[in-house]
Amino acid sequence: HPARDATSAISSSWQLRPVPGLQVPLRLPSDRRPPVRRFACPASIAAASAAASPAVPPGPPLAPAGIARVYKPRLSPEAMKEFWRLSGIGPDHSRAKAADQQAEVPPEIKRLYQEALPPIVSQDYRDPIVESLHRAEMMRRRRVINIPEFHVGSILAVSVMDKHAPNKVNRFVGLCILRRHTGLFTTFTLRNMVDQVCVQIEYELYSPSIVSIQLLKLERRLDDNLLYLMDAPHSHCTIPFDMVPEPYSRNDPVPVNRERVRLNPPPWMCKWHLHGYQGIDLEHLYSYLSDKDVAKAIEFSKAYKRYDLLDQYLNRVPVPDADYAFKDIFIQHQELLQHQQQQQQQSSKKSEVISKLTGTV
Amino acid sequence: VSAASAPALSSQLIVAMATAPHTWLRLVPSCRSYSKATRLHKIDYPWKDEPKPHWVRQFEARRVDADLTPENRDWLRQWRLQRVRDAVASSSEAAAAASPLKEPPAARPLWTPRVSQRCGLVGIKLGILPMWYRNGQKVHTTVVQIPDQRVLRWVPPEDLGNYASLREMRPYRLNQSLLPRWLTQQRWGLQLVGAVPADPANFTAQWCGIFKAAGLPPMRKISRFLVSPDAALQPGACLGLHHFRVGDCVDVVARTVNRGFQGVMERHLMEGGPAAHGSTKFHRKMGSAAGGGGPIYRGKRMPGVMGNRFRAARSLPVLRVNTKHRLLFIKGFTPGPPHSYCQIMDSWMLDVRRSLDANPPPMPTYFAEDAPEGGYPEDVYHPDLLPYDQPLELPD
Repeated sequence: HPARDATSAISSSWQLRPVPGLQVPLRLPSDRRPPVRRFACPASIAAASAAASPAVPPGPPLAPAGIARVYKPRLSPEAMKEFWRLSGIGPDHSRAKAADQQAEVPPEIKRLYQEALPPIVSQDYRDPIVESLHRAEMMRRRRVINIPEFHVGSILAVSVMDKHAPNKVNRFVGLCILRRHTGLFTTFTLRNMVDQVCVQIEYELYSPSIVSIQLLKLERRLDDNLLYLMDAPHSHCTIPFDMVPEPYSRNDPVPVNRERVRLNPPPWMCKWHLHGYQGIDLEHLYSYLSDKDVAKAIEFSKAYKRYDLLDQYLNRVPVPDADYAFKDIFIQHQELLQHQQQQQQQSSKKSEVISKLTGTV
Repeated sequence: VSAASAPALSSQLIVAMATAPHTWLRLVPSCRSYSKATRLHKIDYPWKDEPKPHWVRQFEARRVDADLTPENRDWLRQWRLQRVRDAVASSSEAAAAASPLKEPPAARPLWTPRVSQRCGLVGIKLGILPMWYRNGQKVHTTVVQIPDQRVLRWVPPEDLGNYASLREMRPYRLNQSLLPRWLTQQRWGLQLVGAVPADPANFTAQWCGIFKAAGLPPMRKISRFLVSPDAALQPGACLGLHHFRVGDCVDVVARTVNRGFQGVMERHLMEGGPAAHGSTKFHRKMGSAAGGGGPIYRGKRMPGVMGNRFRAARSLPVLRVNTKHRLLFIKGFTPGPPHSYCQIMDSWMLDVRRSLDANPPPMPTYFAEDAPEGGYPEDVYHPDLLPYDQPLELPD
């Protein structure tokens, strides 16, 4: 084999070692390069270029355009839609038709399923199949556990499985101060005082280790989150663990607690004056601030944002997507109600059968 | 791209190729000694003297045909898409199972330990879905959709050196002195797989011609997998969702998210300079590029485009399979943004390969005769995974 002879003659360290037992074609070093193929430049172009540019010593070699070719491994939304249409798969087509035919969704659906809205993210990171999967799994979980309607400012009692607890269940009562993320990633934070210590616990709404979520008081506040209670007197978030649940009606609008909290004197954990909280006593808050801080608060209030159309577009869920999500959820909500009715009928039948067998009434 | 479609080569080059077919697969710079310093001015760039790589252009500019009315244009588009649908349906596994004239596949190869390496699948990464195990632990799953795909071509190991796309050097090979082992050992061949059939009007005639040889409609994506000869597939064979089973560990190879032009602190985690204490214009810089006024060696870490590189996530188990939307739920996170292509293959990690010997997967791929009685349910879960409509029961 000519290649092997050449290889054995050269003793460079970077030579490929032949693998014994396999017929490996060896690569020879570059001193046996093939002859160079040169392209002749047309005389007219050569003359024109010589006339245009002065004689310059040759610089470093330039890479060809192909090296900088842009590689686009991602499918555009149009390509994804064409692929789904061609193959007949994609978002739930049968439910999509029903959702499109749905006229309007009752307002209680928007209150119950706030986390069904798609996330406010750039369109590149959103996918209709994944969002429909999130909604379907959310409704499947709701067949196992009842998740009541609650808002930031409501009081909840949550029981989670805890193998170290005496009854294997750990119950915590608290005020909901935060509710974030969407779909199956939804979390909510409860705050309370336990033995004069502030405790905040964040729960994942769809975690299967949650045994029950009990609504003790349905209420709304003026803000999306109540994180400023960390710098407020503890009386605002002291809730007794044996609190009796207050009755509420789904048809009534959610009561709004317009209480304005007086914060403790600074230093604070966060610059509360810069985030536009309405639930803080602002006169009392500004009394602690210097003129410079107040000016900054006014600057941060971002009054110009009402004119920033792009900001409004990027920080909101598109209305058609929100409508489609709620319509899809409404169809599954009705299926959930049917499932619950069936379960009640089955349990009543079971109790009838048991009473007949045991002779009790 | 076959050798026939390569540009005409000079007679001297043809003679050189005939005598030693692999001599001109030159991957190594021309300098003799291999210290990094001498590589600086003795570098022989591959593009200097040779013609440009001959790639097939995939996408064609949209033609505006003024002779067609809009209605006729739409009708023609629907006709083209219907032909694509028919071509896909006629070559699907369902059609193969239903047709009485088609011969059953020849004796299916057995899984041979330490030898067999199956083909992989092309997937489209869609997003993330959280799930929970039966012990209460949370797990994030990547949702990957398996589109329509067919086998395009089989390149046996002996022909790897002649394969046109391997003859042109990639720029990252400049730093390598040795050829990759899959090229030198010739244990595995290349299986070309085409995925995501689409409207032929989007593509050039050259691109469509690649699929014509296999009798397939043009597809958007061509991938290649290293496959052992015993697991080779014929052109036109259908690759489906059940090629992987729940519990199989897979490797997912994809291009990472493109983070754009980034500085050294972001890209290479360099420390930069102090923010204060009199630092003059030195906060996020690289600092020195070489020592003692010496030359800057090839591969010096500097600012540049970050991301957009092929990376592999290894040994990820498949936790759930959804047959309705053709989804694989793979544990963990895979590289790339949503709606990007990824390659999914049997894991190359040794412990996974050994575990496959005891529980061999369908060889060379899944066929309709492997289906269980009654077919597959809509969702197949891993036994450790808790479906959302079941309550969690922890042992006492």
